[in-house]
Amino acid sequence: MNERDTTAIALRDVTKTYKTGTLEVQALRGVTFAIERGEYVAIMGPSGSGKSTLMNLIGALDRPTTGTYRLDGIDVGTLDDDALAAIRLKKLGFVFQGFNLLARTSAIKNVALPLFYAGVGSRAREEAAARMLAEVGLADRGTHKPNELSGGQQQRVAIARALVNDPAVLLADEPTGNLDSTTSEEIMQLFRHLNESGRTIIMVTHDAEVARHAKRVIRVKDGLVVADEVAALDRAPG
Amino acid sequence: MIRQIVPFFTEAFGVLAGNRTRSILTVTGLIIGVAAVIAIQILGKGMAGAVTGVLSQLNDSSFYVFPNVRQGDVDKAAIKYRDIERTKDIFPNILVAIPAGTVDRLMSVAHDRARLALSSDSDIAFANAPLAYGRALSHADVVTAAHVCVLTDNAYKRLFPNGGYPIGLSLRVAERRFVIVGVEGRPTQGIVPVNFGGDVKIPYTTYVREYLRTRPLFAARFIVRDPTKISETEIGVVRYFKEIKAGRAEYQTFDRKSFANGVDGIFNALTLVIALIGAVSLLVAGIGIMNIMLVSVTERTREIGVRKAIGATRTQVLAQFFIEALLLSLVGCGIGLVLGVAIGGLVDRYALVAISGVVPSLPWLQSIAIAVGFATIVTLVFGTYPAYRAARLDPIEALRYE
Repeated sequence: MNERDTTAIALRDVTKTYKTGTLEVQALRGVTFAIERGEYVAIMGPSGSGKSTLMNLIGALDRPTTGTYRLDGIDVGTLDDDALAAIRLKKLGFVFQGFNLLARTSAIKNVALPLFYAGVGSRAREEAAARMLAEVGLADRGTHKPNELSGGQQQRVAIARALVNDPAVLLADEPTGNLDSTTSEEIMQLFRHLNESGRTIIMVTHDAEVARHAKRVIRVKDGLVVADEVAALDRAPG
Repeated sequence: MIRQIVPFFTEAFGVLAGNRTRSILTVTGLIIGVAAVIAIQILGKGMAGAVTGVLSQLNDSSFYVFPNVRQGDVDKAAIKYRDIERTKDIFPNILVAIPAGTVDRLMSVAHDRARLALSSDSDIAFANAPLAYGRALSHADVVTAAHVCVLTDNAYKRLFPNGGYPIGLSLRVAERRFVIVGVEGRPTQGIVPVNFGGDVKIPYTTYVREYLRTRPLFAARFIVRDPTKISETEIGVVRYFKEIKAGRAEYQTFDRKSFANGVDGIFNALTLVIALIGAVSLLVAGIGIMNIMLVSVTERTREIGVRKAIGATRTQVLAQFFIEALLLSLVGCGIGLVLGVAIGGLVDRYALVAISGVVPSLPWLQSIAIAVGFATIVTLVFGTYPAYRAARLDPIEALRYE
């Protein structure tokens, strides 16, 4: 497998073994694939398939037991905790199933949070956060707190937060899992729009209906990639 | 460095303001604890000051010797005037040695009369009382055993109920007359109303001549040249008096410093005990803060997970929780300081001063030291552990936390 400058992430022979007491669980048993910049990929698999572990590895929340994982050219497996945090800060944007916004904190402050950890000044933070909120269609909701927003709006705030640092990869874990079908469709349209404007999106889901929106689907089962196919969509490949 | 830290204060302040009830409850415990310890400490100082303030009537160079009252026959211990005079020759440190007697008499000035205590005094002052009118007793008064007197403020009030200029007027005591040459100003009192002298002071030579012929003399007053050697002189004088009575009498001494030290000791001990109780309440408040911070860490596990997933480092999470604890303890100890000084100061002013007339100075430095010290301890001891727990959380586990 050749890595190019345009490769966003590249996994080679990645395994992950968890030890609980004397019990060893091999969650990933040798996974190899690469995702180019600008791709829109869904990672699918039933529960226990290892897709959450894969997600944590791609998200630099964890390191592989063996094998290499390169994110934007950086070998993540060799990094210490602080370097991992720096990678998450600069290269990754997370969108969670449960939105995970900070309660009692306005939408704009939530969106600005990654910039806070990046050491950006407060005025620049607010400006960037406001721009990001406008991009996800919530320009007029900046002062609202999460409990004053609908589920769909909360997920848009979360997406804005994930994108505010201009990450290499947007990582979404069941992004529509807590949303009704109409709202899910809206979020998926937002994802498509983001991808069309050049964002790399990796989405973990068990929902085929959601995965249908991606341009490429990687299927995981028992810790292995069992299928990797470009979806036959009726639109031009990115 | 400062540029990196300041935003954390803003962030922490935002979090604390967002959880207003929790923050207020946490801070309240600290406020009460710090305010109590500081107020108690100020009151202890104030009370000791009020008691020792009375002694400002005495100077550090003077002491009393009097028979120990717990002996069988006190009369046998009576000190003779002759022996008192002799101490000046025996002990070079003694400057003044006079009989310390008082006699109660009915006295009058014109038509105003009162029963007051007449006492012997020297031209070298035992007391530091300022004069309201006239002059103090002079060396000439003493040498010539003049019939002159100095009134205390109390005597002036009794004998001059309508006020008026007293100097040169005649004070009648039975068939004797004394010219009033001076009146003392109002003394500072202290909560123990001790009167070391009488109400009307006459030269001790006059006193000896007019009132000491037939009666035994119980006590003596001394002024020393070198106050640093006052203890040695006291011991020497007591030994000398005992030898005169062939060891069959006991004497004790009294001076300002040892009395003040005794009073200070009592109040310092009391203050310490009460302050310890206060310290325990502060400990409880501190554990309360830790408990709330720990609950906060647990409650915010998911939030910590999110912050870490977003890219917060361990140090940044540690700093956030640490600064939250710091802010809580700063606010709590700050308000506690102000409240404690206010309570202590007000009680001092309106209770102790009203009784004693002594205005104690507020121990600002000590109060600030208590508040700052406790804020530091609370933050370091009770704030660090929860912050450490938060920083150590694994982001994957934390995100999964329900």
